[in-house]
Amino acid sequence: MQHKIQSLTQDSNHTSPSRAERFHPKLLTLQAHANQPRSVEGAGQDVGRSCILVSIGGKNIMLDCGMHMGYNDDRRFPDFSYITQNGRLTDFLDCVIISHFHLDHCGALPYMSEMVGYDGPIYMTHPTKAICPILLEDFRKITVDKKGETNFFTSQMIKDCMKKVIPLNLHQTVQVDDELEIKAYYAGHVLGAAMVHIKVGSESVVYTGDYNMTPDRHLGAAWIDKCRPDILISESTYATTIRDSKRCRERDFLKKVHETIERGGKVLIPVFALGRAQELCILLETFWERMNLKAPIYFSTGLTEKANHYYKLFITWTNQKIRKTFVQRNMFEFKHIKAFDRSYADNPGPMVVFATPGMLHAGQSLQIFKKWAGNEKNMVIMPGYCVQGTIGHKILNGQRKLEMEGRATLDVKLQVEYMSFSAHADAKGIMQLIRMAEPRNMVLVHGEAVKMEFLKGKIEQEFSIDCYMPANGETITVTTNPSVPVDISLNLLKREMALGGPLPDPKKPRTMHGTLIMKENSLKLVSSEQALKELGLNEHQLRFTCRVQLQDPHSDPDTLHRIYTHLKSVLKGYTIQHLPDGTVMVESIVIKVSSSAEDTNTKVLLLSWSYQDEDLGSFLSTLLKKGLPSGLC
Amino acid sequence: EERTSGLYKDLHVYQLEHPTQVIEWTSGRTVCVAGFSPSKNEILELRLPRKLFADENKGLCAERDFKVVHGGFTDRPVRCLRHVPGTRCAVTGDGLSSNLQVWDLGGDDSDVIRRTGSIEGRRRRTGVSEGGSSIAARPSSPPQILHGAQISDVQLTELSSGQTLYQLESDSADPLSSLHFLSDAVFLAGCSNGNIYVADTRTSAAPQLSPPPPPPVSSGESVLWWTDASAGPDPSGCRVVRLSSSGQALVSDLRNLGGAVSRAQLDVQTRRCGPDDVRVSWAPALDDCIAVSGRLVPKATTDKMRTASKSSHSPLAGFSGAVQIYDASVWTSELQEARPLFEHRGHAVSPEQSDDGVPPILVTSHVWHPERPRTLLSAASDGSVHVWDWVDQSAADKR
Repeated sequence: MQHKIQSLTQDSNHTSPSRAERFHPKLLTLQAHANQPRSVEGAGQDVGRSCILVSIGGKNIMLDCGMHMGYNDDRRFPDFSYITQNGRLTDFLDCVIISHFHLDHCGALPYMSEMVGYDGPIYMTHPTKAICPILLEDFRKITVDKKGETNFFTSQMIKDCMKKVIPLNLHQTVQVDDELEIKAYYAGHVLGAAMVHIKVGSESVVYTGDYNMTPDRHLGAAWIDKCRPDILISESTYATTIRDSKRCRERDFLKKVHETIERGGKVLIPVFALGRAQELCILLETFWERMNLKAPIYFSTGLTEKANHYYKLFITWTNQKIRKTFVQRNMFEFKHIKAFDRSYADNPGPMVVFATPGMLHAGQSLQIFKKWAGNEKNMVIMPGYCVQGTIGHKILNGQRKLEMEGRATLDVKLQVEYMSFSAHADAKGIMQLIRMAEPRNMVLVHGEAVKMEFLKGKIEQEFSIDCYMPANGETITVTTNPSVPVDISLNLLKREMALGGPLPDPKKPRTMHGTLIMKENSLKLVSSEQALKELGLNEHQLRFTCRVQLQDPHSDPDTLHRIYTHLKSVLKGYTIQHLPDGTVMVESIVIKVSSSAEDTNTKVLLLSWSYQDEDLGSFLSTLLKKGLPSGLC
Repeated sequence: EERTSGLYKDLHVYQLEHPTQVIEWTSGRTVCVAGFSPSKNEILELRLPRKLFADENKGLCAERDFKVVHGGFTDRPVRCLRHVPGTRCAVTGDGLSSNLQVWDLGGDDSDVIRRTGSIEGRRRRTGVSEGGSSIAARPSSPPQILHGAQISDVQLTELSSGQTLYQLESDSADPLSSLHFLSDAVFLAGCSNGNIYVADTRTSAAPQLSPPPPPPVSSGESVLWWTDASAGPDPSGCRVVRLSSSGQALVSDLRNLGGAVSRAQLDVQTRRCGPDDVRVSWAPALDDCIAVSGRLVPKATTDKMRTASKSSHSPLAGFSGAVQIYDASVWTSELQEARPLFEHRGHAVSPEQSDDGVPPILVTSHVWHPERPRTLLSAASDGSVHVWDWVDQSAADKR
C-alpha cells in the first residue's frame, strides 16, 4: 500500500506542476564567514559569526545570531537591514533558533531583539537559556564597563531579550505555528549545544550549529535520526583539520602542570564555570590519584556552586559516565580538589587553582594572576579563547608588560600556556553525520576563508548529493522534490484491480487515474464520481466540434452514406452507425453533412466528439480532410 | 603517559580515515599521504602543526592539528609517491604496473590535487610478473624522474613531454626495491635480492654492480634486502645501508660497495613479506642513525616461538607496530647484535587495537624530517599517523 501511495504521489507531481514548483526553499546566508586575519594563531578557531536565514515552505527562520569577536564597531553584528529594508523583523521572521551559548552564535541576540526590534519567538535549549545571559553579561561588562564603548546593549536588554526565549527539550517536537515544527538533537560541543531539525510540510532542513562526533570526558557525541532532510547545514570549522588525539592534548596538559608543580611553582587555570573546567578537574583528579601527588588543587568557590547548580539542572546533557557518577556523588566532591579561599593564594609551595572568569578580565582569576605573574616558576594555562581587551587576550599575544588600573604596570614573568580543548567535528565527523542523517543536499558554513573544493568533491562523490559552500552574504536556492503523501480511496483501488493487468510490482511506480482533492489539509485521490459527490458539483460534458469542407458532387444523404462506407472500411473494430436522423456515429463522434449555400458540390461536414474520444475525433477530422476515395458507392 | 613523557619532546597522534603506505615531504612543513585500497583512494597534502615548529613561545601556540591543504582522488592504490623537488608536482605508482601517474598538487588558489598525465613504464621482458616501480626525483628543470620496476627498466623521463632522456644499460631482471640520486647525475639502484647498481645518467656506460655478502646461514628461505643511501652534499661521503629479511644490516662506503664498513645483527627479522613491507632510512640531520620499520618481529621472539612459547598474547603484535632507531656509529666490521637506541611503539598501543582476533598493527611507513634531527613521521595499518620528536636517552644518561 505504501508503495502505491508513493508511486501515486510521483504521478501527482506530474499532474500538478504548479504545486511542485511552489516548494523552493531558499537559503540565504548572512555573513556566515569570517575573513578577518586572526591576531592570535589558532585562537580564532571558535570565532566567526554565525547567522543564517532559511526560507522553507514560505517560512523564514533565523539560525543563530552570532557576534564577530574580531571587531570593535558595528561590524561585529550582522547587518539585519539585509533581511528587510524597512519592514519589521517580527513581521518577516517566523522564529529564531540559537544552537548554543557561545557568543559567535548568540552574541548579537539582544542587539537584534531589543535594539533592532524583534518580538517573535526565540528558541534555545534549557542549558543555553541558563548560560547564554551570563556570557552576554560578561561580555557587556568587558565592552561597556571596561572599554567604555557605547552603542551596546544593556543588562536590562539582555533580561528583556531572554524573556522572549522559549526553551527546547531534546527530541521534543515543538510546533512553532500550524505549519512549522522544530526538534532539537544532541550536538556535544558544549553543555546544551543542539542541532535542530526544521520541518514545514514534507520539507525539512537540519542545522547543526557546532557539534562534535566524538565523546569527551563530560559530554557525549552528537546524534541525529536518519531524518533525510532536504538540506543539512553543517558547520565546517575543522572540516580541513585532522585533529591531534585527545590523549596527546591531555598528556601535554598534565605534563605542563606536573613540571610546574615539581619545580615548586603554582598553576593558575582560568576557566568559565561550565564546560572545560569539569573535564580538566576530572583529568587532574585521576592523574593525582595515579601519581600519588600531594600538591593541593583548589577551585574557586563561586565555581563550585555555579557548576553544581548547572550540572544538577542539566545532568541529562552530559555523558553517561558522569550521569552515573552523579547518582553516587556530587560532581565536585573530588578527593584531591578542594574549595579555594583567597588567603591560600599567598601560601608557599606548589598548588593548582581553577578560578573564574576564563578570560582574566575580572574577579578571582585576575586577582590570583596579579599575585603570581611575577614569578617565572609559575604558570597560567588558558584553556579557551579570550576576547580582545582582556588580560587573557593580551598575554596570549605574548604581551609581557600589562597596564593595570592606576598606571601600575605588571611584569608577566610566569609561563603562559595556551591549550585548545574545543570540540568540533572534523572532516571525518562531517562525513559521519551525513551518513547518519542522509540529507539530499549539503551546505557547509562557519568555515574558514579557504576554499574547500576537495571536501565538496568528496561529499558529492561519496553520497551523490550536491554540496554548497555559500560565501558571506550569498544566497543559494535549492530545489526540492518533495513526495506528498496522498490517501487513496478503497473504491478506486478496487476498480483499478478489477481493470486487470499484471499485479502491481511493489518496487515500481504505477500510474493511476483519479481526482485529487484537497480537504482539511490532507490530499485524497478518489474516483471522479466520488469527487463530484463530495464536493457537491454537477458533472459537465465537454465536446469538441469542427467543420471539414469536402468536394463531393453527390446529394447530402449520398455523401453521408459514402462517408459511412469509407469509415467502415478504414476503422475496423469500431462501432459505426448510420442513424435514420441523418447522422453517422463513430463511438461518441457525430458526423452530419450539409451543402454550401453557394456551391452544392461543396459539402460541409460537422464533427462533434466528447473529450474522452479526443484521439479518435482528431483522427477522423484529419482523415476526412483528405477527401473521400473515388469508387465508393 | 608519565613514562612516555620523558621519551619524547613532542608526540602528536592522528587518525586518518584510511591507512597510508606513503609519507612524502612536499616542503619542510607539508607531507603527502595516500590510500592503497584496490580502488577509490585519496591523496592528501597535510600541513604539520605550527606548534611543532614554534621554537619561541611554543606554549602560546595552541595549534597542534594537521591541516588538509590539498586533496585529490585516484581510482588506483598508491604504493609509491614521489614529490619532484622545487615543483608542485608528484608522481605515484600503484605497485601493480610500471606505469606512473603525474599529479599537480595545487597552489594557493585551489585545494584540489589533479592528475595531469601519466608515464608509460618500460617493460623489457614479458611474462615476468611486473611489480611496481620505484621512483626517484631530484631538483631539475624541466622536472624529470628516474623510475623502473627492475634494473633493465630504469629510465629517466621528462614529466611534461614524457620523453625518455636516459636508459640504464643492463639486461638484468633484478627487481628494484629503491632508487636514490647520489648527485645530479649519479644514482644508486637497490634490488630486493641485495644487488646494488650505481650508474650515471650522463653516460651510457654499464652500471657498476655490487652484490651483497652471502647470508651467514642458509635458512632455506630466500633473503630479501632493503636499501637506503645517506644524502649529503658530497656524494663521495655517501654511505649505503642494506637490511636483510634476516635482520642483518650492512653499512658500505660508496667507494667500496662490495665490502662492509660495519655490520650488525638487528633485533628484528621478517618473514613472508614483500618489497613494500619494510622501510630502512638514514637520518638526514643526525649522524649515523638509521630507522627501521615494517613487518618485523624481534629475533628473540621468533627464536622463542620456534621452541615453546606459552605467552598468552601474540608476541608478534607489539613489535611489527614499532619504529626502531639504531646508532650505526657503534657497529663494527664484526657481526654483532645491536640494540635499538630508541623504539617508538605508539602504533602498537593504539587505542584502536583491542583483544585477540584483531590483526596486529603494522607500521606501513616512516620518514625523517629533512632538517629537524629527531623528528619522524610514521604511519600504520590502522590509519594512525604519528609525529614524534624523540629524546636520546643514552645521550641524556651520559650527561
